[in-house]
Amino acid sequence: MAVVSIPGGGEVDQLYAETRALRLQGFLLFLVSDIVLFSSFIFAYLYLRNSGQGWPPPGVTRPAIALGAVNAAILFGSGATMHYALENFKHGKFMRYAAFMISTIILGVLFLSGQGFEYYTLYVHDHVSWSGSGIFGASFFTLTGMHGFHVFCGIWYLTILLLQSVHGVYDKNKYFGLTAGTLYWHFVDVIWVVLFSIFYLV
Amino acid sequence: MSKHRGFTIVTVVLALLSIAEILYFWLMPTVEPWLPPEGGHPGDQVDWLFRFMASAAALLYTFVVGYVIYFAIAFRRRRGDSPDALGPNIHDNPKLEAAWTIVPTLFVVLLSVLSIKIWYVLQVQPANGLVVESIGRQWYFTFRYPDVNGEVTSEMHLPVNVPVTLNVTSADVIHSFWVPDMRLKADMIPGMINTIRFTPTRIGRYKIICTEFCGTGHSTMDKQVMVVEPVAQYEVWYRGWQVHNAQVSNAIPTVSSGAISLTGGSASAGQALFAQKCTACHALGPFSQRIVGPGLLGVLHDPTHPNLVDGDPATPPNVAKILQNGYTGSFGHMPDEAENGLSSKDIANLVAYLNTLKVK
Amino acid sequence: MSVIAEHGGLAEHIHPEPQGFIRKYIFSLDHKIIGIQYIITAFVFFVLAGCLAEIIRIQLMHANGGFITPDTYDEVYSIHGSAMVWLVIIPMLTGGFGNLVMPVQIGARDVAFPWLNMISFWIFPVSGLMLFSSFLMGAPVAGWTEYPPMSLQGAAGTSMWCAAIFLVGVSSTLTGINFLVTMLKMRAPGMTYTRMPLFCWGQFATAPLLMIATTALAAALAALFMERQFGVPFYDPTKGGSPVLWQHMFWFYSHPAVYIMILPAFGIMSEVISVFSRKPIFGYRLIAFSSAAIALAGFMVWAHHMFTSGIAPYMQLPFMVITFIIAVPTGVKIFSWIATLWEGKIHLTSSMLFALGFLVLFTFGGISGVFLAAIPFDLHVHGTYFIPAHLHFVLVGGSLMGIFSGIYYWFPKMTGRYMSEFWGRVHFVLFMIGFLGTFLPMHWLGAEGMPRRVATYDPQFQGVNQFESIFSFIMTLAILIFFINALYSIRNGKKAGHNPWGARTLEWQIPSPMPYYNFKHIPSVFGLPYDFTEPLPYAHLEEELTDSPVPVGSH
Ligand code: HEA
Ligand code: HEA
Ligand code: HEC
Ligand code: CUA
Ligand SMILES: [Cu+2]
Repeated sequence: MAVVSIPGGGEVDQLYAETRALRLQGFLLFLVSDIVLFSSFIFAYLYLRNSGQGWPPPGVTRPAIALGAVNAAILFGSGATMHYALENFKHGKFMRYAAFMISTIILGVLFLSGQGFEYYTLYVHDHVSWSGSGIFGASFFTLTGMHGFHVFCGIWYLTILLLQSVHGVYDKNKYFGLTAGTLYWHFVDVIWVVLFSIFYLV
Repeated sequence: MSKHRGFTIVTVVLALLSIAEILYFWLMPTVEPWLPPEGGHPGDQVDWLFRFMASAAALLYTFVVGYVIYFAIAFRRRRGDSPDALGPNIHDNPKLEAAWTIVPTLFVVLLSVLSIKIWYVLQVQPANGLVVESIGRQWYFTFRYPDVNGEVTSEMHLPVNVPVTLNVTSADVIHSFWVPDMRLKADMIPGMINTIRFTPTRIGRYKIICTEFCGTGHSTMDKQVMVVEPVAQYEVWYRGWQVHNAQVSNAIPTVSSGAISLTGGSASAGQALFAQKCTACHALGPFSQRIVGPGLLGVLHDPTHPNLVDGDPATPPNVAKILQNGYTGSFGHMPDEAENGLSSKDIANLVAYLNTLKVK
Repeated sequence: MSVIAEHGGLAEHIHPEPQGFIRKYIFSLDHKIIGIQYIITAFVFFVLAGCLAEIIRIQLMHANGGFITPDTYDEVYSIHGSAMVWLVIIPMLTGGFGNLVMPVQIGARDVAFPWLNMISFWIFPVSGLMLFSSFLMGAPVAGWTEYPPMSLQGAAGTSMWCAAIFLVGVSSTLTGINFLVTMLKMRAPGMTYTRMPLFCWGQFATAPLLMIATTALAAALAALFMERQFGVPFYDPTKGGSPVLWQHMFWFYSHPAVYIMILPAFGIMSEVISVFSRKPIFGYRLIAFSSAAIALAGFMVWAHHMFTSGIAPYMQLPFMVITFIIAVPTGVKIFSWIATLWEGKIHLTSSMLFALGFLVLFTFGGISGVFLAAIPFDLHVHGTYFIPAHLHFVLVGGSLMGIFSGIYYWFPKMTGRYMSEFWGRVHFVLFMIGFLGTFLPMHWLGAEGMPRRVATYDPQFQGVNQFESIFSFIMTLAILIFFINALYSIRNGKKAGHNPWGARTLEWQIPSPMPYYNFKHIPSVFGLPYDFTEPLPYAHLEEELTDSPVPVGSH
């Protein structure tokens, strides 16, 4: 079987190299269409917000910026740990990789709990709900909910990757799944940057 | 080369044909076979644009179709040709390609300039014009005039040669306000006001048509008219509504619970009301001619239709009862007076009108 | 490394052909089978949607209607439009012809993700059934555009409509990703972008539209669904939403969607016209480039459907001008095809006749599109029969003619047999007559004052409508002949060799029907496939036609 060398040293068989290229491209394109999905809802939100009713609409309390900021910090932190996880894996430091990976997952769960708490306060305390608070409720819960769902899927995805790597599915030359997982997690991070700015900051 | 002589001949013929078409589009006195008669400004400008685009399109299209057909015939494989005969290896011709990129581009620029000029006319607020509002409803139009209390529910009247700013909106779903003769339309969107500006210049009665799907009655939302008349006549009509609506708002229609007095019903008022509120669901045809509800041409005078849908004999008081209370039976749901927005007076008028209808 | 090397990699990674009927024909992973599955399924939906069209025409024979109630009529044209767009033309041209031909034409063994391809296909019939089942619970009534607030009030079937279109959109998105990766990464050695057959260029320009525009539609549909089912306010003005928001989101998808429906048909035109003129395609580079230009500009014109909706006046102008500009690259194509005919040795086969018919009809529809783009004129004809006139000229006279042309052209490749040429010509003649009689007068109706989507209309238009209806029956007859011809020819058509038309793209250099895994050896490419007088521009093709390829690798 023909063998090709990969950037950063090491060699893999050609079939893997080629299918990796395909899968990477496919995964990136999938992320592009996911970005379009978010962008469409973001467009809808900005469009409605600027349709002249004032913001937030009368009688609606916006979520507290402090909680949002803490949550954002958690998620960005998890982006960093994810990055180190992949780096360590590449260099064959499995235990450090696993530790970073587990912290990423824990941070993800923390983020979701933070969001759950935020929803709870909004709903119970401020009576802001999905369908009952006009376009604010609609766009806020839809977008952050969509994002939360992505985080939720990401947590499962990372867990599966972790288990797979424990079972030796990946080695230091073949770890496409981990690359994809990292890309996905960073993507979820970046989306949150946008959502955080448009919902909490401006 | 005979082939190329043929090409020259065809080109000349196509050129002559296009010139004839272009002349036709500019020399025809009105655009009438292609568009309805034009009733005002800026309809005249739209017509001008139409002549321009139609003549350019005719030129282009004549050549495209002419060449396609001519080439298909002239260059077809003939009986004598070997089955493997090939055409020459022509790959491209930069000059030609540049030409057919640049010429259409220039044309498009010209078309943009002309369209923008006319578009601009549409945006200009006329000085001391009349400001009218129209509200789309399922499935009729109502109108508001300055200093008239409430809505005008019959025809829309406009004085001739007076610029109009028409603001449109909707009370329920999206409708669209179109008067073909004025060449203008605007969507009536709930919660939004759209504006069109025009000056009717020809006296006449023009259809107002809804062109945005708005439910069951959309098809029939073309029964109302815009009446363009001399200023004096318009003034009379306008004062009439001022007085009428002032009275109505004094005596808010009392929802009558008992039988309705049918005396003094005006058939002509009933007819106008019918065109607005009933034709969405009822045809003026025999009972069997159904739109949503049954045809009403013979509701009171058709021996083959002695009883109304609720089983009562077809008499004016019983018809009034249906109009007042509505009825839901095998055809579906006939709205009651509140849903149809009818006062007792309206019902009396409607019954008087229905009473005049007879199957021929 | 953007090109698959010849040895050792994917190119030699061949699974043995599955033998069971189910794995071979039902849940097949083979792009050719999947392509045929798409085509057949889309034709089934075409017959259903076509029958709805005839119901429309029967209703409109009389000014007072009477054949069906207005409510049923509204359901009928809504499903007619939705099904024709989403279940017929888009799947047929992308999933169907794209799958059937594109991988072979670029010299690949399959698409990049065969599993994904199978899943995309199977989503499609399921969502089609969902769409038609909405009739059972009260189908949507507000047309294929489903503008709220009307669509918020529609019967339960409207939510079903949302779900069905959402699903078929997922299928489109996945196909778009799949095709794009295939064309970016799996071209045979030497198959540079400027050597790709123009059909592939059509698909190449379409794939990003599928991927990006469809996702935007998914968002719009999801919001509509949430609003209908859970009362989440996006579009309802009484709760602070905006009906115009839907229009923006819908047309941001649906304008690119009309190019999804025409760019692959343009690709078919380029192949067919060049092959049957026995001449290289004229102006290859400009045709290829203009596809990309159209796709790109297609994202910037959506508001030309909304000139009457009250978007800020100055915002209308760029949309108008960019819409005009799209006429230029499209014109380049039309002119190049006509120039290809020049001095050719034209074979007037059925396929070529439909291509010539395409030139004649599509150009008309395109020009009426330019009329529509001019705001002052659009203010007059928007929402009238002028719009169905335009859309049927480009969709039936363009996309559907392209599909017919493509079927006549690739039928021998799919089945190894010809379709009857005689009946093909009868089909063509009747179809042209029926088409022009049905749709040409619609322009006049619209301009004179007949709104669209009406079940009853002003009696002054009755004569013209009856005329149209009668011609639509002729068109139906033509299509019936086409179906009989196709079904009959699958088993009984005259046998065709592997390359009956003397074409030079790769799919014609392998046996018909195409063998599993396409090529024994991936060919190398050293030229354009359109130089008929030159030897074939492929290396390593020698053994393709002798015996079938043997699986060499295993998992
Ligand atoms: C690609 C798309 C496509 C195609 C191919 C067609 C094909 C046809 N369309 Fe359609 N049409 C649309 C897309 C398409 N349409 C869209 C998007 C709308 C707008 C909807 C809206 O307003 O929301 C529309 C709307 C529309 C209207 C306007 C409705 C209205 O506004 O009130 C009409 C009216 O005549 C019409 C007619 C037809 C006819 C007669 C055909 C014919 O060409 C069909 C012929 C085909 C067949 C008949 C099937 C094959 C025949 C057989 C298998 C034989 C056996 C069949 C019988 C005996 C019936 N269409
Ligand atoms: C295959 C589908 C298809 C295609 C290719 C097109 C192509 C075009 N369409 Fe069309 N369109 C539809 C499908 C399509 N359309 C549908 C379905 C609707 C209705 C939706 C609904 O409301 O239900 C619609 C509606 C529609 C509208 C909205 C009308 C309204 O609702 O008010 C407009 C307005 O600008 C428009 C314009 C155009 C233009 C400018 C093109 C251009 O791309 C055409 C370009 C081609 C040419 C111009 C011909 C060839 C060119 C030459 C020979 C060169 C020289 C020419 C010039 C310089 C003019 N279309
Ligand atoms: C929303 C549709 C709708 C509208 C609007 C409507 N109707 Fe009806 N109408 C019906 C239906 C449906 C019936 C039949 C009820 C049944 O039998 O099921 C009906 C029945 C009737 C009948 C009894 C007919 C008979 O032959 O027994 C009369 C009279 C009538 N309508 C008059 C009117 C008038 C006058 C108006 C206008 C103010 C009007 N309708 C508006 C739907 C409508
Ligand atoms: Cu009102 Cu259509
Ligand atoms: Cu468009």
